[in-house]
Amino acid sequence: MAARTRLPLLFSKNLPPFKNQKLAHTEAAVKEPTYPPIVPSLTAKSKSARGRQVEDHVKKICASPVDEKLSLITRIQRKKFVVYPQTFARNADRWYQHFTKTAYIPGLPERFALDPEKRTGVEKEESSLPAGAQTTVPGVEIDAFADIRSLVTRMILQEHWHMKKRKPFLYREQEQMVGPFLRNLVTGLTYSLAKYNPLLPLSSLDIDPQVNFYWRRGQRIIPKGHRRGRQEPTRFQIDDQPHSQIRITQQLPQFTSLEASYAAEVPEVAFAPNLMPLFRRQYDNNIFTGAKLPDPACYGHTQFHLVPDRYHRDRMARQQQSDQVEVFLRANGLASLFAWTGAQAMYQGFWNHEDVTRPFVSQAVITDGQFFSFFCYQLNTVALSVETDANNPRKNLLWGTESLRLYESVQDGAVVGLNDDVVKLLVQFLVNQP
Amino acid sequence: MWRRLSTHGGAMASHLQARRHFAVSRCLTAKVPPERKPRERVEIPGLEMVTYGERMHYVPGLSKPVHPQWERDYKDPRHYRSPPAHEMPLYKEKPCYVYNQRTSALEGVRQALWLTKTKLICGLPPQLLSLAESPANQIPDQDERVQNAIKHARFWDTTEERPGKEKYSNTLLLNLLHLCATLQSSHPAIGRRILAEKYSLAATWKRGEDLFQIRGQNGLLQNCMDPLPEVSGKQEVGDTADHVLETFYPVSPTIDLQKVNVYKEMNCSGFRGDYPYPHAHTLYFLEGADPRCKLRPEQFRAKMFMFTFGNALVRAHNLYGPQRVLDRPVTVQAVGTNGRIFQFMVFQLNTTDLSGDDGIKNQVWLDEDVELYDFAKVRPLIKKKQVKVPAGLAGYKPETFSKFLALYLHGAV
Repeated sequence: MAARTRLPLLFSKNLPPFKNQKLAHTEAAVKEPTYPPIVPSLTAKSKSARGRQVEDHVKKICASPVDEKLSLITRIQRKKFVVYPQTFARNADRWYQHFTKTAYIPGLPERFALDPEKRTGVEKEESSLPAGAQTTVPGVEIDAFADIRSLVTRMILQEHWHMKKRKPFLYREQEQMVGPFLRNLVTGLTYSLAKYNPLLPLSSLDIDPQVNFYWRRGQRIIPKGHRRGRQEPTRFQIDDQPHSQIRITQQLPQFTSLEASYAAEVPEVAFAPNLMPLFRRQYDNNIFTGAKLPDPACYGHTQFHLVPDRYHRDRMARQQQSDQVEVFLRANGLASLFAWTGAQAMYQGFWNHEDVTRPFVSQAVITDGQFFSFFCYQLNTVALSVETDANNPRKNLLWGTESLRLYESVQDGAVVGLNDDVVKLLVQFLVNQP
Repeated sequence: MWRRLSTHGGAMASHLQARRHFAVSRCLTAKVPPERKPRERVEIPGLEMVTYGERMHYVPGLSKPVHPQWERDYKDPRHYRSPPAHEMPLYKEKPCYVYNQRTSALEGVRQALWLTKTKLICGLPPQLLSLAESPANQIPDQDERVQNAIKHARFWDTTEERPGKEKYSNTLLLNLLHLCATLQSSHPAIGRRILAEKYSLAATWKRGEDLFQIRGQNGLLQNCMDPLPEVSGKQEVGDTADHVLETFYPVSPTIDLQKVNVYKEMNCSGFRGDYPYPHAHTLYFLEGADPRCKLRPEQFRAKMFMFTFGNALVRAHNLYGPQRVLDRPVTVQAVGTNGRIFQFMVFQLNTTDLSGDDGIKNQVWLDEDVELYDFAKVRPLIKKKQVKVPAGLAGYKPETFSKFLALYLHGAV
């Protein structure tokens, strides 16, 4: 029987004829795999098949152009938490920091330092400076700064003194008194500073734009239903309407390097998001910077926000909630800027599985007419979902100030106590350029 | 065990249960019945009516008692009835005809010209046209940037497919203003201007024996620290004295104006006395600003014109006093748009003496129905399998924006 015959000994000698001859100058022939790689099935009813489907979907998204990427990511509607930037929840900034993986750094980056010693740059040399001399922002001459200061004064006076207005309607004071002032302020400052910042003449100024962002972070076990016991990612959506924003054609430079964010601390909140309180709804998932993809001004510069009418800091002080005053502003700045920078990153093709290669930077100013707070945000990572966050040391960074008073009051046609530092910060924010 | 029985279906239980109202079968679409007139009370002198007032209940046969009108002794703003017109403190016998922001004048611009004693000149004045053509007053990459501005307003401003008409006309105007204002680095006089919205205008003048007023919050106003230079010289101004105003008999010129007997004769520009920007530069009107009031193009032009005239008149009053021929005319400009079609207007007030029909008249240069672009479609228009209008922006006309820019830069060059 041929099958039971032992193999002849001669065969074994011939078998590895080239084994001992190591030819130094030729490379080993690349062995083409004879069979395709063994991968899990695509259509079976198993966890590995589901895993393969997810992988294929991810590869499909990575391979498509940006507008298709966005529509594939936001295609399926599911129940998601709607995050409101302006919220009265207590300690909302800690919750939002946890949702967006952001570390808060009090104060502003070194670029906006207000100390006279640290400032360098072009200043008109005045040999005899009187006491209480007017100092200015580097790059802006003293005369120009004085002009800007008087412009701000005139704008405050126009809304509060010169224009004949009725007493503002209940809960519409922000819209009727502060809104026009802020609009005039933004437009006036932008055009006055257009000669110091070459990005501003090419910028696009939106009044009352929309900013939306959709992302996933964390997961939970579904408690009830036919999918009970399985893991479900937690989805979030921000729908924001800033008062106005400036969008530019080039990106702002980063404040710190990506690696510097590894050491920052992000507060962890152990509770489920709905305890904040945060509520879930299902509707269109939107990712929007303020203009659609074809717009050339796709990067963000500065946003301006108005606080809602029901936010009264004196009422909060009476109820012994003075700390929540700043918490509200920080949460607002954080959520709005995260949504804006995230949407800018998505417009460039970065998403959950393709993390950003360069940081995205934007600024925001939140005001109620008298008090101004300044925020700077650097987006270092968009990879926030469970699969991608496991080994991601990067964190997003938020710098912010406390609220600073712009002026004390308006009396008899004059503005009392105009704070130069706030005007300087506004000028510095708008002059920020690569 | 004691059980509460309800005999006859609820005599006992009805006062314990909530009152249920099951009348769903009533007619829901009937007309409202007309008001019933109360029975006319006849007073016969000498005859005292016997009423059921003392008895405190209705008695058939006795008449209804008449009580004196009760007035609240404190002031409650939720229950305030305004007195009739002739008892108001500002009541005057002579009526006043008021033009407000929702007036739709029947004869349109002709009526406005008659009311304000103005001569119409079609087309913009030559200085502005030459300003538009001069290359020094142009924005770098002007065409491309204006087209981007139009596309942003018409296509890119929303998460939906296309923004609505009100939204895009507003955004387009703001984008174009933004483009013009970025020239501040080369034309520093632009920095001496400021925008004001929701200001209330009030202007009064006499025309013949009638009193006219303009009142209302109308549009976006651009104020300036310096006045606009005058557009036509003394010779042309003197020539307008020969012009005859066009009447439209038998229609009265006061048609469609609101006739009021309670009014205050005031001239107020909307700002207090020491405003640092006293001169009006340009007014910007949007057709879709008021959703309740849709004006046709002719009426919209009339509205633009009347409010421009009102602003000029108020400022002339403040500077020179009433009722005279001005030696330095006041010039105000206006731009109106519906998102695609623009109306440009330059108005020069030469005289505030408007009582008679003769004498020097005011002048207005009107450039009407100037299109900025032909079509801005999200989906192409296809008829019989042929593309008639492609998707995107089609038919852009650069001259319109040059005129807009010229009006903006007038006075700042």
